[in-house]
Amino acid sequence: MQGGTSVRLYGLEWLKESARISKVFDLLVAAILFLAVSGAFHLHYMLTAGDWDMWIDWKDRQWWVTLTPIMAITFPAALQYVFWTKFRLPIAATFAVVCLLFGQWINRYFGFHLWSYFPMSEVIPALLIPGALVLDVALLLTGNCLFTAMSGAFAFALLFYPANWFWLAPYRLPVEVMGQLVSVGDYISYAFTRTALPEYIRLIERGTLRTFGGHSAIIASFFSAFVSILMYLAWWHIGMLLARVVTTPNTLKNFMGLTDKDEPAETAQKAIDGTSLQGRFAAVE
Amino acid sequence: MRTFCFRKSSCVRVILSAAAAIMQIGILTLVPDAALAHGERNQEPFLRMRTAHFYDVKWSTNEIPVNGEIVVTGKFRLFPIWPVNLPLPEAAFLGNGTPGPVLARTESYINGVPAIQSTKLELNRDYEFKTVLKGRVPGHHHVHPMINVMGAGPLLGPGNWLTVTGNESDFKLPIKTLSGETIDNLETWGLGRVFFWHGLWVAIAIVWLVWWLRRPLLLPRFRALTEKGGDRSQLVTSTDRLFGAGLLVATILIVFFGFQATDTAYPRTVPLQGSRATVEPLPEVPEQVKVVVNKSNYDVPGRSLRMNVTLTNSGSTSAQLGEFLTSNQRFINHEVSQAMATVDPNYPKELLPPNGLKVSDSRPLKPGETKTVDIEAADAAWETERLSSLINDPDNTLGGLLFFYDEHGKRTISNVSGPMVPVFTDPDNRTAENPKGGPG
Repeated sequence: MQGGTSVRLYGLEWLKESARISKVFDLLVAAILFLAVSGAFHLHYMLTAGDWDMWIDWKDRQWWVTLTPIMAITFPAALQYVFWTKFRLPIAATFAVVCLLFGQWINRYFGFHLWSYFPMSEVIPALLIPGALVLDVALLLTGNCLFTAMSGAFAFALLFYPANWFWLAPYRLPVEVMGQLVSVGDYISYAFTRTALPEYIRLIERGTLRTFGGHSAIIASFFSAFVSILMYLAWWHIGMLLARVVTTPNTLKNFMGLTDKDEPAETAQKAIDGTSLQGRFAAVE
Repeated sequence: MRTFCFRKSSCVRVILSAAAAIMQIGILTLVPDAALAHGERNQEPFLRMRTAHFYDVKWSTNEIPVNGEIVVTGKFRLFPIWPVNLPLPEAAFLGNGTPGPVLARTESYINGVPAIQSTKLELNRDYEFKTVLKGRVPGHHHVHPMINVMGAGPLLGPGNWLTVTGNESDFKLPIKTLSGETIDNLETWGLGRVFFWHGLWVAIAIVWLVWWLRRPLLLPRFRALTEKGGDRSQLVTSTDRLFGAGLLVATILIVFFGFQATDTAYPRTVPLQGSRATVEPLPEVPEQVKVVVNKSNYDVPGRSLRMNVTLTNSGSTSAQLGEFLTSNQRFINHEVSQAMATVDPNYPKELLPPNGLKVSDSRPLKPGETKTVDIEAADAAWETERLSSLINDPDNTLGGLLFFYDEHGKRTISNVSGPMVPVFTDPDNRTAENPKGGPG
């Protein structure tokens, strides 16, 4: 109660001291959350879209474009549920992909470049920020998960390829190597070898998504956008489930012959009568 | 006092744990020699004995400066008695086993065909390979030729130690694109653009985050949402919505015009290339000497592989057994001068067991002659290379190549394969612990 002066935050009365402590709490949670989301999202992403995102010669116009947004919209959707419904903060998607990008750059620079000698030009992560911004703004403007899925999640996937083309284009210039036509990206990964990741592991535009219109990326983007809508809704609900505070009764104590002191009198009477397991234990005593 | 003791012991535990962690990291960092090779000894013997047999492998040099070139050449045969639990080589890739990209591969060929793409290979056929590598990271590196087979994994050829000298920062890998751009170094190509665009979007993202994070955050917002009297309209204001809408438009415009500008800057691009190369094997040479394994034993205490084989020379010249090659180990018959002459002085010594190959009758096999001989390949390499663990494999069949030479030094190659029976004890009471025998 020291200080005495109060402030109003969002219509509610706060002691100045409480508001100050709350700010410190915000900073602590933000720092912890930043590291936790960086780690967890990075792990999830590496396990599901890892090689596509990792290597310059895996970023094809079909699988990379299809898979990456579908796998990347998961954490943003789950976090958006928590951030929006509990705090009305439309920043979860941006926050999640910034965390992911931070984890990726740390991993690529220290783990792959400095430790394992790969040139940075071989291990550039994809950019997801433009899509995430649109996803956040969609939630801000609609305030509804279904409309956000239909507009924001759709745009999240649709913007992926054009937003990455800015930096990717120089790696798709044609070069001639040993009389063969390859892209600069192909040659970078050929030159700086991955011992245990041979060329045939890659999936380069395999499948029938390319057959309509001639440019695989457009078809793949739209397909990815439709799946991203479903993925967004699924992960929004996963976020909802994980955000629930759930308690489970301790059933083991019954086997120990213990009863709650504050349990209803009717249950306690049953126990004494021996009509329940714990009652039988009590009767023996 | 008790509380103090508890805290003290906790501190000691924490300090000891931290010290142990630092020691572990230190050991991993300071003892790199054991980790410089590629775990080839950990591959199961059946995999090493019955898949790709590399021979005639040569390294043009053992020491190069940064940007200097080394050419690795040789041949390999895909063994016909291919392990049944491995997929056939429908897709294979000529790789090089190095500790990371310490060397840059500038060219590679299988039978003269560029090996930048994967290819299908045939069993019981021979292929010639060539790989050109450029020194990049100074150090002492173990370098293998290697065939990756889809589903079977990396099949390593013989490894040799190569020293790269100089300064890593001097490395350059230039190339000129077909659209006219000159790339000074592929290591750093395009990174300026990458940093700019990543930096720009991170900056925009931070502006968006700060816009919201500058206000009282978690508890005040949570209370405002859940408690009576909380003003929700202050949580998201019309200014916020306006700012968000502006950001949405800006994002779409940047992406659209950025895409257009990039397309204008790089009008000629190609997609990643993912085709398969077509490689014909070397012309088939019929086996001059047919080899039938009558019996084969691995003598565990004697560290020795013994085979009783029947050899039939169906050729028009004599044939003398000069070498048994398996798992990159070359057991040379010292009595055959033509076989001894094939040993390159640069060839890794650890792959040339000093005892060589003992043959009960090394006399040349005349044309049309059939002869049964005992062959013994005795060396500690069976243990050190972990080949003796074949007795623990589900497919306990050995495999290798026998090299025969005629009187003019012409070589023919025969496959040898058969079930292997281990011998755990012998009449001289030799054991793995007491290899010389006698009273233990």
